[in-house]
Amino acid sequence: METLSSFLIPILNVKMLLLVLLGTFGGIWVGAIPGLSVTMAASLLISFTFSWDIYDAIALICGVYMGGVYGGGITSILLNIPGAPAAIATGFDGYPLTLKGEAPKALGLACSVSFFGGLLGIIVLLCAAPIISRVALQVAPRDYFLLAMMGILLLTSMGSGDTIKGIIAGALGVLLSMVGMDPATGEMRYTFGNVYLMQGISFVPAMIGLFGVTEGLSQARDVTVAAIKQNVDKIIPSLKLLLKYLPLSLRSALIGIWIGALPGTGGDIAALIAYDAAKRTVKKPSAPFGQGAYEGVIAPESANIAAVGGAFIPMLTLGIPGDAVTAIIIGAFIIHGLRPGPLFMVETPNMFGVIVSCLLIANLAKLIIAMCSIKFFTKVIDVPRAILIPIVIILSVIGTYAIQNSLVDVYWMLGFGVLGYFMRLYGFATAPMVLGLILGPILDSNYRRAMQSVNNDPIMFLRDLVTNPISLILVIFIAYMVVSQTPQWRRFMARVRAKARTNNA
Amino acid sequence: MKKAILLVFSIACCFFVMTNVSFAEYPERNINGYIMWGSGGALDNVSRAVTPAAETRLGKKIILQNKPGATGAVALTYVYNMPADGYTLLYGSENPLLYKVLGITDKDYEDFYPLMLFINSAGVVCVRADSPYKDFADLIRAAKTSSKLLNAGSTGPAGLPFVASSLIRAVHGVKFNDVSFDGEGPCITALLGGHIDVVCVGAPAAVSFIRSGKVRALAVISDKRVPQFPDVPSLVEISSEYGKFFPWGPFHGVFVKKGTPDHVIAKLTDAFRFACNDEKFDKFAHDFGGVKLALTGTKAVEYIRHNQSVSAWLLHDMGYTKRSPEEFGIPRP
Repeated sequence: METLSSFLIPILNVKMLLLVLLGTFGGIWVGAIPGLSVTMAASLLISFTFSWDIYDAIALICGVYMGGVYGGGITSILLNIPGAPAAIATGFDGYPLTLKGEAPKALGLACSVSFFGGLLGIIVLLCAAPIISRVALQVAPRDYFLLAMMGILLLTSMGSGDTIKGIIAGALGVLLSMVGMDPATGEMRYTFGNVYLMQGISFVPAMIGLFGVTEGLSQARDVTVAAIKQNVDKIIPSLKLLLKYLPLSLRSALIGIWIGALPGTGGDIAALIAYDAAKRTVKKPSAPFGQGAYEGVIAPESANIAAVGGAFIPMLTLGIPGDAVTAIIIGAFIIHGLRPGPLFMVETPNMFGVIVSCLLIANLAKLIIAMCSIKFFTKVIDVPRAILIPIVIILSVIGTYAIQNSLVDVYWMLGFGVLGYFMRLYGFATAPMVLGLILGPILDSNYRRAMQSVNNDPIMFLRDLVTNPISLILVIFIAYMVVSQTPQWRRFMARVRAKARTNNA
Repeated sequence: MKKAILLVFSIACCFFVMTNVSFAEYPERNINGYIMWGSGGALDNVSRAVTPAAETRLGKKIILQNKPGATGAVALTYVYNMPADGYTLLYGSENPLLYKVLGITDKDYEDFYPLMLFINSAGVVCVRADSPYKDFADLIRAAKTSSKLLNAGSTGPAGLPFVASSLIRAVHGVKFNDVSFDGEGPCITALLGGHIDVVCVGAPAAVSFIRSGKVRALAVISDKRVPQFPDVPSLVEISSEYGKFFPWGPFHGVFVKKGTPDHVIAKLTDAFRFACNDEKFDKFAHDFGGVKLALTGTKAVEYIRHNQSVSAWLLHDMGYTKRSPEEFGIPRP
C-alpha cells in the first residue's frame, strides 16, 4: 500500500509536476541542439540541484532524460546532425525523409513511437526489474564482445556510400579508438609521449565534428540551394499507420530495454542494434533502408527511449548504473544521503514509485510538447543556410567545450570535422567511423577480459562461447548475419522458396 | 590640452585596474576540480560530498569534472600541466603512488601538495554469497589446490584490488588469475554474475552488497576490524605476518601542484578543513564505509609516503614492477 501511494507523490505535488514538464521541455531542446548532450545536461543539473529536495531534483532530471533522448532525433532527422549518440541511427532514414519533404511525418512518427517505446520501457521497469537485472548480471564480458561484434558487422551495411568504403571508415574508427592507455595493462598505445593522446580519442567530440561540422562544411559549398519544401499537413500519424508499425516498435523497444539494462551500454548501442534488426526482419519497407524508410526511423527511436527504462533497472535494483546518465543519478543520490545498492528499494521504497511516476509523466509530456513543436522545428529547415551553418558550427564548439572544459576536445572536433568533409567528398560515409570509435573500446576491453578469464587459452574461450546460453544465442545471430549475406545462402533460400511454391501449386 | 587630459585619464585607469588586480582576493573566479576516477566511484562520491561545504567557505564554485584514464594519470598530468595558481585542483586516490615504479608516468604526489586527505577506507576480500568459500581459509586452500587458477577482479596494475591481492599472494604464496575491469563497480557486477571468483574492493564499493547479503566478506584488509562489519576478521587476525604492512589502504584527498602560493594554499586548506568538520561529513564517512582522516600538511605527506613505501616495495618484491622503488628514493616500510 505504501508503494502504491508513492506513485501519486509526483502527481499530487504541483511543484514536482511543473519540474517534470520543465525538464522535459528543456530536455527536448538540449537534445536537439547539436553539441549539447543529455549526459552533459544531467551532470550540470546535479550540481545545480544540490541543495534541492531529492524528489524535486529527480523530477527535473527524469524530465530532461526522457526529453533529451527524443530531442536528439529531431536534428538528426532535419539536419543529419545527431544531437546525441543515441540518435545517430535515426538519421540514416530520417534525413532522406527530410530531403523528400516528409520531415514532419518522420518527426510525428518518431514522436509517437518514442512514446510507445518509452511506455514499454517504464512498464517493464515497473513489473520485471528484479528478474531482468538478475539475467543482465549473467551477461559475461565475452557476450559484450559479441554484441560489439554485431555492431561492427552492421557498420559495413549502413549509411550512404558503398560497402567497402563503409568498412574502411569503420575500421579507421576502431583503430583510432585504440589510441591511449591499454585498459588491461596500462601500456601506452600510439601516444607518442603526448598526454592528450594518453587519454584517448573521445567519441563525443568526434561525433560532433564528423556530423555537425562536416555537414556544415559540406552544405556550405552550395549555400544558395533552396531548402526543400516540407509537407506540414501530415504530422500526427493516422491510427492505421500506427497499428501497422506497432509490432516493429514494440520489438525494437524490447531490444532497447535489454541493452539499456546491461550495465555500461545504453541508448546508442540499442538504437544501432534495433536498426539492424529492423533491416533484417522487415521484408517490404516503405522505401529501401537508407533512402527514407519509415521503419528506419521507428526502430531506433523506439529502442533508444526504451533503453532509458532499461537503464534504471540495474540502477534501482543493484545500484549499478545502466548507462552514463544513470551513473550520474547514482552520484546525486549519494550526495543527498541516500544509499543506492541492492537494499535501495527496501530502504527508500518510495523512490521507485516516484521515479516511475516521473518517467511516465515525462513520457506523456514529451508526446504532447513534441507534437506541438514539430511545425516550429520544421521551420528550422527554412532558415537560410548562410545563417544556419555558422550557428551549427558555433554550437558545436560550445557543446564540445562544455563536456570537459577542454580546448583540446574542440581541436579534435574541428579536426574530425575537416576530415569528415574530405571523406564525404570522396564518397565515404562518416557514421561508420563514429560507430567504430564507440564500439572499438567495448570490443577491445571485453575481449581482453574474456581472454583473461580463461587464462589466455583460446580453446577455452571458444568453448565458453558455445557452452553458455546467452553467448550461444549471440554466436548464432552473428553466424546468421554473416552467412545470410553470402551468395550461397541466397541461392539456397531461392531454391527453398521455389520448392515451397511448387509444392503449394 | 585635450591630449594631456586623455593621457592623465588613461594612466589613472591603468592604476585603477592594476591596484584592483593586485588587491584581488583569491579566489577571484570559479575553480576547476578534476576527479581522477569516473563518476559513481568511491573517489567521485567523496569528492562530491565534501566539496559543497568548501565552496560556501570559499565563496566561489569548484566545478567538479571527472577525468578518468590511466588509473588517474590523465588527471594528474593534466593538473600538473596547468599553472600552479590554485584554480586547478586534483581530487585523487592512492593510485599515483605507484606510477613511478610501474612506469605509468614520472610524476606522482611528490609534485603536489596535499591540501586535505579526507577519508581512508579498508579493502574487503569479497566472494559471492553462494560461493563455496565460507571463510578466508577456504579461499586460500582452494587457491592452493585448485587445478584452474581462481579468477580475481582487478582495476589495473595501480588499483587497490591488484595491490591487495598481491598482499595475499606475498603472505600465503598463492596465485590468482587477474581479470581487469574499468573500476571497482564493474568488478562487483562481474562477481555477482559469476564471471570472477573473488575480488578485493574498497569497503565503500562493497558495503551495500555485503549488507544486503549478496556478497560475503571474508576478511578486511586492515590491522583491525572495521566498525561497519564487526563480524569480519581482519587480515592481521588471520595471520600476524600481515602486521608489518599496516597502516595501509586506499585514501581520497585533494591536491594542488607544488609551487602554488602559500596564501592560496592556506585559504583552500581552511575551506576543506571546514568541510571535514561538518557533521554531515561524519555521517557520510560512516555510511560510506570509511574512516575520516582529515590530514593536512606534513602529517598528510608522512601518511602518503608510508603508504607508498608499503605498496611500492610489496609489488616490487612480487616482481610486478618495471623499476625499483630504490631508484626513486622510496624507503622500505
